[in-house]
Amino acid sequence: MAETFVAVIALAAGFGAGYLTRGRRRGPSASLLPPDRYAESVTEFADAVAPVWSAQIDSSRTQMETAVGQLTETFGGIVEHLDSVLTSSSGVLDEGQGGTFDRSRQRLGDVVGTLDQALTAKRESLGELHSLLSLNEELRQMSSEVTRIAAQTNLLALNAAIEAQRAGEVGASFGVVALEVRQLADRSQNTSARMVENVDRVAAAITSVLATAESSAEREGNAVAHANGEVQAVLDDLMDMLSRIRDSSQQLEQAAVGIRGEIGDSLVNLQFQDRVNQMLEHLRDNIVRFPELAADAATGAAVLDARILLDDLASKYTMAEEHQAHSSGSATKVSESEITFF
Amino acid sequence: MAKTILIVDDSASVRQVVSIALKGAGYEVITGNDGKDALTKLNGQRIHLIISDVNMPNMDGITFVAEAKKLPAYKFTPIIMLTTESQEDKKRQAQAAGAKAWVTKPFQPEQMLSAVAKLVQP
Repeated sequence: MAETFVAVIALAAGFGAGYLTRGRRRGPSASLLPPDRYAESVTEFADAVAPVWSAQIDSSRTQMETAVGQLTETFGGIVEHLDSVLTSSSGVLDEGQGGTFDRSRQRLGDVVGTLDQALTAKRESLGELHSLLSLNEELRQMSSEVTRIAAQTNLLALNAAIEAQRAGEVGASFGVVALEVRQLADRSQNTSARMVENVDRVAAAITSVLATAESSAEREGNAVAHANGEVQAVLDDLMDMLSRIRDSSQQLEQAAVGIRGEIGDSLVNLQFQDRVNQMLEHLRDNIVRFPELAADAATGAAVLDARILLDDLASKYTMAEEHQAHSSGSATKVSESEITFF
Repeated sequence: MAKTILIVDDSASVRQVVSIALKGAGYEVITGNDGKDALTKLNGQRIHLIISDVNMPNMDGITFVAEAKKLPAYKFTPIIMLTTESQEDKKRQAQAAGAKAWVTKPFQPEQMLSAVAKLVQP
């Protein structure tokens, strides 16, 4: 566009001098156009090129505005998505670290605790069985004692029967009593023997149950200890995984924040479109005036004065760098933003 | 509750850039394409601050500020002019119309947010 601007200014400046110098450019042998034909050709030239230049500038403005508009919209969408992802990612991590994980640890701990309680109850039952076995042994000893007492009683009854026999008719009734006592002693001895048998059977049954229960309790104890270890290992693995996910997420978060910042900076730079658009608009408006001035000059109503176009152009400037470029004839740096509070 | 800011600029890219900066700082944003369009947005809704360009088609920014200040609901709404305009007389006209600050483009988001934070009403 700068080239177009230079061409317009050069054309305007050259038009006035053109007629005067054309003979010199063409040389002494060239035939000269009549002045009115020359002026007419310049007007035709201005009428022809000014709309095309203007249209090209408008086309450039439109294309740039559309492209930059789409770019800013796309960047804006990316920034919004990044913000959304950053927000949700942060929430999930907080929940994962402080919420779900702790709740899982608590629930698994409860399960292991329940198993521990069941095992403790079983061990208490085993203790009861051991007590029962001890009682059974006491019963067996008591039965043996009864057997001995019955044997001694039987012996005493036998001696009593013998003494009753010696006493003759006087001891006959005593002999009957002694016989009854011997029979009772025999029955006591038999009962005691059966008790010992039963106590032994009970002892065997308790011993068998106790062995099975102790074996089972040992296996369950090992299983609970193993489960406890496995639960801790799983929790450690989960914690490790969560920690790595957290680290990775933090890195992603930092990258996203960085990208967001870079996009923000890029968007700031896209403000050039608004400035360039205004510059091109001023230039286009100035070009549109050129045929009018050329026509005035051709009819002799006014001289073709570049200052008219340039002053008109300068009156449209809004930016400091437009004024600086106008006066210096070269591109100037964009001024820093300034804030004034009223 | 988020503060609402009206952005008035004929450049879509500038509207977008300002919107992103303000939304990132937690503000809600509505936009107008020029002064005339922006006046239709001043329909009684609560607006905490207005950021307006100066040179716009249909209705320029200074006229828009003057018209907005005539509306009772927006008489005390602070207005920042965001513009490429460098002429001092335009700046004085904006001040006379009721603008509270003048920011030149291209702006840095931090500068804009600082000015907004200073002027936005609680």
